[in-house]
Amino acid sequence: MKEKTALCLFAAVSFVIPAIFIVILVHVIYQTIPAATGLGMLLFDTSGVWRPLGQTPSFSILPVISATMYVAFLAVAIAAPIGGMAAIFLNYYAGRRLTKLVLAFVDLLAGVPSVIYGFIGLVVVVRNLERIFNMSAGESILAAALVLSVMLLPYIISTYSESIEKAKNKYDTASRALGVSAEYSVLKVIIPITKRGAAAAVISAFGRASSETIAVMMVIGNAPIFPRLLGRGQTISGLTALEIGSAEIGSVHASAIYAANLMLMLTLSVILLITYFLRRKLLSEYDKI
Amino acid sequence: MIKYRNTLLKLTAWLCGGLVVTATFFIFGYILYHGALNITWNFVSDRPRGVPIGAEGGVFPAITGTVYLGALSGLMAGLVGSITAIFLVFYCRNRYVKGIIKASIYFLSGMSSILFGLVGYTILLHMLGMPRSLLAAGITVAVMILPFITIRIIKLFEEDSTELLHASLCLGVSKTYILRKIILPSYYINILTSITLGVAYGIGAAAPVMLTGAVLNAPTPQSVTQPFMSLSYHLFILVSEGISLTNAYASAFLLMAILLVLNAACRGLEYFKKKGD
Repeated sequence: MKEKTALCLFAAVSFVIPAIFIVILVHVIYQTIPAATGLGMLLFDTSGVWRPLGQTPSFSILPVISATMYVAFLAVAIAAPIGGMAAIFLNYYAGRRLTKLVLAFVDLLAGVPSVIYGFIGLVVVVRNLERIFNMSAGESILAAALVLSVMLLPYIISTYSESIEKAKNKYDTASRALGVSAEYSVLKVIIPITKRGAAAAVISAFGRASSETIAVMMVIGNAPIFPRLLGRGQTISGLTALEIGSAEIGSVHASAIYAANLMLMLTLSVILLITYFLRRKLLSEYDKI
Repeated sequence: MIKYRNTLLKLTAWLCGGLVVTATFFIFGYILYHGALNITWNFVSDRPRGVPIGAEGGVFPAITGTVYLGALSGLMAGLVGSITAIFLVFYCRNRYVKGIIKASIYFLSGMSSILFGLVGYTILLHMLGMPRSLLAAGITVAVMILPFITIRIIKLFEEDSTELLHASLCLGVSKTYILRKIILPSYYINILTSITLGVAYGIGAAAPVMLTGAVLNAPTPQSVTQPFMSLSYHLFILVSEGISLTNAYASAFLLMAILLVLNAACRGLEYFKKKGD
């Protein structure tokens, strides 16, 4: 009897998470309806004007979507090679003690909140960009991408390092027995067989990059225009954080913001699905090892 | 040719490794150095003052507000998260139910933090009519850290507790009894550290609380229906409005110190527990 009650209670609580998931999904889709019916394809108007409060309001979410993708892509493009090579460094060149120390710090780095990254980005990266490029304001797409890339490093290093470790455990003895150099075994063995793991790390890093809010918002300049490398921009998350408070819920303005978030959710879901299947394939591959 | 290629690889690896090590130490060093220069006892114990507010004075209500927020969201997310994990690992036999719950956890874990803020803001504040408050922010942060905590606890249970369960079941002991007397006592430290790490992640995030309950200036909340100050949101405002660089350094130092202590405590506890086993 007691067993039954506990089971029912536990089962009920366990459905809180699926319920939250469904509520969020339905809510976001429902809130997007006013914009979808009122604006339709004007949401993706290529003029790229976001002017919610003007005489003739215009709600193109194309600029924020492209800025989000641009910044995320740039950040991954910077962080992936550096993080990947750093993971190789830790597994092949650094001593065991240094590796342990660095990985511990990198782990801690992953716990640093994004507002602190944004703060350091503003006082260090933005100021230096102003100096180097002679800009009047250093808040730009490039600044956001640089800050984001540093935030992605711990994630890329720890996931890719794990893949390398597994591969190394399997093939290192054989490589050593054949007498090839460490470089040869990295280039011809480790990198080829960890390519799926690397792909999973890069794709989910892209997901993280495109959903970051605070740090990006602090250094990107927040202007909803099409992104240029040294120009200002605004991401979907930044737009949401800055404008939803002043938009009336249910209005076309708020609804357009929801539409942008729905796009982000869709992108993130696709990324989650891809990484899920990549990881599953990886696991079955490691089982074979 | 091969020699050049090898040297090049070696060089890049060392360079990237060095870059990462430098960046890591720079981030910690920068905040700790500037924070130590700018922090005073008055800053820790006083409320925000000056014009604009926050330019002078301290952050005491932000410290208490952050602690309350962490406790509230940790309590809610910890309870739901650990029960869900127990159900999934020890009780659930239906493949589809398991799949649905796991898929929702996975999906929620990949969403952006501002999405939780946005949905929390509209549903809790506008549809349910809650005030901007500790409660609304607590619920929002709890939802955000829920997948994080649940995933960690599931991993914990899946690693090696099923063996214990099977041995006990063979002896004819009931499942609830095993859970209460064997599984939970031997795992409660790891469950607590999982929840604490989730809380550390939650109180560092400014995005979900900026719309739902954090304000620029408020006393220590007396009840969950009052607005509150959060250190991360306070730091965000100090920096983005350019109110005070000195106080921003000190706030960043405090926030980092709290999170580092929480992280170090959790990792230390887990480490000693592993050794004890």
